[in-house]
Amino acid sequence: MLGISFDTQAENKAFAEKFGYDFPLLCDTERTVGIAYKAADHPKDKYAKRYTYVIGADGKIEQAIDTKDPAGQAAELLKQL
Amino acid sequence: MLQAGTVAPLFELKDHLGRTVKLSDQKGKRVVLWFYPKADTPG
Repeated sequence: MLGISFDTQAENKAFAEKFGYDFPLLCDTERTVGIAYKAADHPKDKYAKRYTYVIGADGKIEQAIDTKDPAGQAAELLKQL
Repeated sequence: MLQAGTVAPLFELKDHLGRTVKLSDQKGKRVVLWFYPKADTPG
């Protein structure tokens, strides 16, 4: 599990500590990865879209999930693990 | 968004603890890549 947003290291550190996340939160401050994964359209986009990708062991995307429903998203992902 | 079956773009980024994380280091494992809009917001 890898989280990713356009936040700074300090912002993501506070986020991880608050919720006790034990997985890495990646700091895509340049939006390069966001753009590669179409979670951003422009380097100046303020926020990433709520996209979740399941990447298979072969390096290909197995599932692409677009949801504005965080609870549903979490439930969907838990089924995968 | 990228469609299933697409080769996942490789990346290398720092995480919240300053560690370098590369997608290529996860090879052979399934990875969930969760984009969220803003730290400390629901979802």
